[in-house]
Amino acid sequence: MATRDEPAWQIAAYAQRKRLSDTTLARWRAWPATDQAALFSLLQDLQCGENHLKDLLDWLEEIVARDEQTVAAILEQRELRSARATSGSRHDKLKAVKAVLRKLRYPRLTRLEENVRRAVKALDLGRTSQVAFPPDFEGDEVTVTLTVRNVHELRDILSQLQRRLDDGRFQRVFEALDEV
Amino acid sequence: MYRPTEILIERGEENAPVVQRALTKLPELPVRIVEKDWEQKETRPADSDPFGTGKRRLFFTRQRARFLEHCPAGTPGLVCCNYLVVSLISNCPMDCSYCFLQEYLANNPTLKVFTNSDDLLDEVAQVVDRQPWRQFRIGTGELSDSLALDTLLGFSADLVPFFAARKNVLLELKTKSDGIDHLLGLESHGRVVVSWSLTPPAIADTEEHGTAPFTERLRAARRVQQAGYKIGFHFDPLIEYPNWETDYRQALEQVFATVDPRGVAWVSFGSLRLTPSLRKVVRQRFPQTRLLSGEQVLCDDGKWRTFQALRVKMYRSLISQLNSLAPTVPVYMCMETAPVWQKVFGRAPGCDKDVARSLTEPNLSYGSAPQWDR
Repeated sequence: MATRDEPAWQIAAYAQRKRLSDTTLARWRAWPATDQAALFSLLQDLQCGENHLKDLLDWLEEIVARDEQTVAAILEQRELRSARATSGSRHDKLKAVKAVLRKLRYPRLTRLEENVRRAVKALDLGRTSQVAFPPDFEGDEVTVTLTVRNVHELRDILSQLQRRLDDGRFQRVFEALDEV
Repeated sequence: MYRPTEILIERGEENAPVVQRALTKLPELPVRIVEKDWEQKETRPADSDPFGTGKRRLFFTRQRARFLEHCPAGTPGLVCCNYLVVSLISNCPMDCSYCFLQEYLANNPTLKVFTNSDDLLDEVAQVVDRQPWRQFRIGTGELSDSLALDTLLGFSADLVPFFAARKNVLLELKTKSDGIDHLLGLESHGRVVVSWSLTPPAIADTEEHGTAPFTERLRAARRVQQAGYKIGFHFDPLIEYPNWETDYRQALEQVFATVDPRGVAWVSFGSLRLTPSLRKVVRQRFPQTRLLSGEQVLCDDGKWRTFQALRVKMYRSLISQLNSLAPTVPVYMCMETAPVWQKVFGRAPGCDKDVARSLTEPNLSYGSAPQWDR
């Protein structure tokens, strides 16, 4: 029989406390013991419930399959340890950890997101213009929204947009969308 | 070779030619005569893999619905190639980890063989003979592999002569098998395309269970081509994994080092696509799979695909390679959006008929002038 100090008991207790489904618990328990324990250690900090845990399980299993690493090795990475050490609430920690894991899971997509974000920032359009993209950049529509209160503001913003077209910064936004 | 655990025959279909052929080839298997709705009424024992179990039960029954359907890939928002499908078999003896049948046939997974193939031929004749001006493409590989069971069931012996006799329709037999000997003596008159679904060996060996190895598929393609058939290749699903580019480009090189490009009717590419529930099934049935580790996102049609910029890069890389190896071979993409066609080929089809025509009239091929390659 497992004692309270053993990982199996601790994982079962966590599952009960968070009302995890049998399926989710079974997935976690199918991992090698060291990987189970490594995730449990992370969850001590994050205290996440079923849905966030499923994201973590998905991403970690997918990284393991792709990179032939162990979960324990992934969770030991410096960036993840820093995210775990984030000051603030558990929610802040969870957000930071998930951001790092997502970057590991989707390295090229997150790089593309970052490049597009930088290209949009370089437009320096201020609050009166917003540039938006379809979810996960699926499709080819870029939406530019202008917010103005009078003709003068409209003229100003249009001339600013024209300058950004002329100096190639808008071109850079569209290029960034295709760069992987 | 596929060996079912038992044979079930719908009452009244015992003497159908396909049943008799199968019984002769599998004389030692237990046979049960059952009612037509046997599968719905069956009390299923607890089974950790009902889909896998279903594949191993061979059920001969009549098809009571229409045989001829529009290909379900014609989803709103996606470019469609106006392909028609007929299914004489429902479910597949092979077991590819990504197969959509795992979800589509989850509630009726028994491998069914329809005994009334004459009705299928009548139905096709009624449609294609009434529109002699229109070019049709019809495939049998939607709900099963077209050839995996053919040495047992012998459907091609009826299908090939039927289509060979018609000038306005191409039959496509889509397969991952190498069992083609029985086709070699049949005359196709250029109206039958035998096509192979291909992934590089690294994927075929680990994700396409029960299929012929990559090199055996190519050998079979060459033999079929030498026997006078047109052939085709489908790099679908196109799977993104760490070594995808080298592996797929090598696979393309091997294809065109093996077969004569002049006899290739078409090559298609289609990104791996999985519904959320299919992802769950794949995860459960094939826990070691690497399929789910690509950078996939949920698209507007409710399916996960490699994110757009990356799959455009994949298509461009492979179509560029194809153009250098076999510039005259028609090429198309399956279940892709107009923006992706635009980015890959520099133009998107105006309507579904454009893609279909590009496959039957090679001078209209989309693969011939991708602007990004010039």
